[in-house]
Amino acid sequence: MLSQKLTEDVLTAALDTGGDFADLFMEDKTVSTIKMIGGAVDRANSGRDYGVGLRILDGMFAVYAYTNDLSRDNLLQVARQAAQAIRGTKRDLTLDLRKSVLTPRHLIRVLPQDVTKARKVEWMRRAHEAAKGYDPQISQTEVLFSDEDQNVLIANSDGLFVEDRRVRTRMSITAVATKGSEKQSGFYGPGAHRGLEFYDNLDIEWYAREAARTAVTMVNADYAPSGKMPVIIDNEFGGVIFHEACGHGLEATSVAKKASVFTDKVGELVASPLVTAIDDGTIPNAWGSLNIDDEGTPTQRNVLIENGVLKSYLIDKLGGRKMGMASTGSSRRESYKFAPTSRMNNTYIAAGDSMPEEIIADTEYALYCKYLGGGSVNTATGEFNFAVREGYLVRNGKIEQPVRGATLIGKGIDVLQKIDRVGNNLGFGQGMCGSISGSIPADVGQPMIRVSELTVGGRKGAK
Amino acid sequence: MELKAFQQQLFTRGKALGFTDMEVYYQAARDTVVRAFQGEVDSYTITEKAGLSFRGVWQGKMGTAFTEQIEEQAIDDLLRQAKENAEILENVDPEELFAGSPSYREVNQHSERLLHLSSEQLIETAIRLERVALQADPRIDLVNYCQVARSEGETFISNTKGLDCHHKSARLLGYVSAVAKEAEQVSSGMEFGMTFVDLDALNAEEVARQAASEALAKLNGDTIESDDYPVILRNHAAASLLKAFTSIFSGEAAEKGLSLLQDRIGEQVVGANITILDDPLLPEGPGSMPFDAEGVATAQRSLIQDGQLLTFLHNNKTAKKAGVATTGNAVKASYRAAATIAPHNLIIAPGEQSLDELIAGTERGLLLVEFQGIHAGTNSVSGDFSLSCLGYLIEQGKVVRPVNQITASGNILDLLKQVDALGDDLRFNGFGSGACGSPSLKVKSLSISGK
Repeated sequence: MLSQKLTEDVLTAALDTGGDFADLFMEDKTVSTIKMIGGAVDRANSGRDYGVGLRILDGMFAVYAYTNDLSRDNLLQVARQAAQAIRGTKRDLTLDLRKSVLTPRHLIRVLPQDVTKARKVEWMRRAHEAAKGYDPQISQTEVLFSDEDQNVLIANSDGLFVEDRRVRTRMSITAVATKGSEKQSGFYGPGAHRGLEFYDNLDIEWYAREAARTAVTMVNADYAPSGKMPVIIDNEFGGVIFHEACGHGLEATSVAKKASVFTDKVGELVASPLVTAIDDGTIPNAWGSLNIDDEGTPTQRNVLIENGVLKSYLIDKLGGRKMGMASTGSSRRESYKFAPTSRMNNTYIAAGDSMPEEIIADTEYALYCKYLGGGSVNTATGEFNFAVREGYLVRNGKIEQPVRGATLIGKGIDVLQKIDRVGNNLGFGQGMCGSISGSIPADVGQPMIRVSELTVGGRKGAK
Repeated sequence: MELKAFQQQLFTRGKALGFTDMEVYYQAARDTVVRAFQGEVDSYTITEKAGLSFRGVWQGKMGTAFTEQIEEQAIDDLLRQAKENAEILENVDPEELFAGSPSYREVNQHSERLLHLSSEQLIETAIRLERVALQADPRIDLVNYCQVARSEGETFISNTKGLDCHHKSARLLGYVSAVAKEAEQVSSGMEFGMTFVDLDALNAEEVARQAASEALAKLNGDTIESDDYPVILRNHAAASLLKAFTSIFSGEAAEKGLSLLQDRIGEQVVGANITILDDPLLPEGPGSMPFDAEGVATAQRSLIQDGQLLTFLHNNKTAKKAGVATTGNAVKASYRAAATIAPHNLIIAPGEQSLDELIAGTERGLLLVEFQGIHAGTNSVSGDFSLSCLGYLIEQGKVVRPVNQITASGNILDLLKQVDALGDDLRFNGFGSGACGSPSLKVKSLSISGK
């Protein structure tokens, strides 16, 4: 990591042309991935990301530069070159970096480097065998194992100088079922901001069989119906609906530009009173958790919506300047190659009162989504979409036949207002969230919810 | 540390460690990115990055690892990781490094005029892009994203068998997303332009006007009745759909049982009016490259000719397994990524009608201009898709109103069996390797879900 002296010199050079704030993000990250196809290790890759990102702010204007040549001469040159984009006069700022030491809130016991690759392959093989052995229709499996050990140094002209270590691991299991010429896949991808002790208590076989069960169920399913209908979305990764339909629209990135449907709506009822939604970067060892965000601000638990009323946005330092609000510890980036911006950590709809069985029993007709896949949103219009990974029709209070190929579409505020049941079975799922500052790990979560009406895109005509 | 010296040290120490053949894949990029917002520069980013991927044969197995630290102290760690990665490989078809093709075609994508653009010119262009979009119409409320980027890239592959490939390129990109508002209605439209030539060739003002007109045209859209409709997929939308399904052409996917085209070489897999080719040598192709990630010379190749499947895309390893020659389609998204198989510029060969003629020839149907959530709503293993989309209703040969909050579902092969007519308006979707291009496609029937 860079010395305090060199960091100070680089920040000083960055402010030479009148910038009023500068920050530096250094990253030394070791990553490793192993891919197993059909039970045999097919590919293994590992390496090291190593570089520095430097940002200068002048009011609302931001200059960002990065390099992976970390010699003193080059860093000073990059700082001066970036400063050229600001044409002011040097301000009277004195730099006084004070090293702060973090108390890690996410305990890491076993570092990736201390486990042999052979051991990692054993875990992967368990997943393959459980998925493959689930059913004769399982024709292929793909298991991806990844771990990373990210060491960061974050410093800024306000005097911050802090280091953090983030260790993450994930096992992604895909099972493919074949019936005649048709193929369907199932997926489960448990992961955590934790060392490799994560696998000690992980029921790998259960996750693998669940991926296989989805694939087999879907390959034997008929196509989903089309049109507007009630939709029940189960817990865990189902929370991607809130992430897409609402979470992205609460990020300062779009709110500060007044480009979000949620702009200027704090204090207003934007959702059904049954909905309380939270983004929490402090959940111990959760996939999207951090001790400090990528600007060095401690993460926190941000209540976004409480009983339907909009309470807060997700704010980074630059977004905060534009909005006249403080950072919520939500500034994130994929790597030093991206300027940080407001993002989600672990976002979820809080548990309600209804028993999941009651919600189903109370429903005359609906599409029940046991698992959702990914989705996307246009934050300017609020239009979102996502894929249903495993779906069923509910008729007269009972879950009936499975259906495949459904997509859910709608508009953010509209869907939040139409949530008419919230279950008590809160659960989380892991995902990668892609946006302007790159691809970052994030948890989504919710209990089972019911939406009174959503557009379902299937391949069969109306119900 | 100087690259040549690094490589020499790496190969010397690698040999001592037991690697027989070794290769470096080096990539460097220098980008300048300007974003404008409300008449001002919103952000200015300059980046320089370089990284190197190593692969070497260790006891007959190929080990790979990468580093961004091109310094002497990184060498031992790089070799140790590559060796560890080789040790656990179980898919033990022997892999070899490639000594080089007899000759390479030139792809000239390195314009000095782009390199000489000043930061002032880039800033002026970004601000002008935003202004032109905003002034296009009073209903344009906001330009929520406006960016100009100049990227310079360099790729270098060299190995102990004598391979020595080098390629440089520079490109300029302009991207605008405009938001239109009228009463309570909000819509957005985006457009981008790319050139390898000079600033004028970007047609910045046209890009901005197009983004604005896309947003405006979508205002006051509404859903429609769920039904099967004749559909025209506009070029850009058709290309985005093709891109989501490029893995069906991968020789690796076919071998592993993950392609719906496996075991179908020689068969009629789509309509006889469909020809799909990969053309890595197109002068203005976003993914053009004279060689692939293994150093194999690239060439134009038909994958589907008049509806018949001719070949998969291969690298050296999958070609050997399939008993054919490599097609030069080993692709690395970056030095960090493992090599995969992908097209360079995948194209559906265009037809002869203009988009206007396709529309005029449609009694009642939909013109779909944009698919959303492409990564989520497509299943590349089954070929199925169910995608949120935006477009227009066509009645009696004329566009009558915008349509939104609908999904289109089907299967990619079924869709390509039902193409009635192809437009003459080939267009690419995407900026880099693996780009796909398509003309507008008129499809007999697609299942649309609305109200």
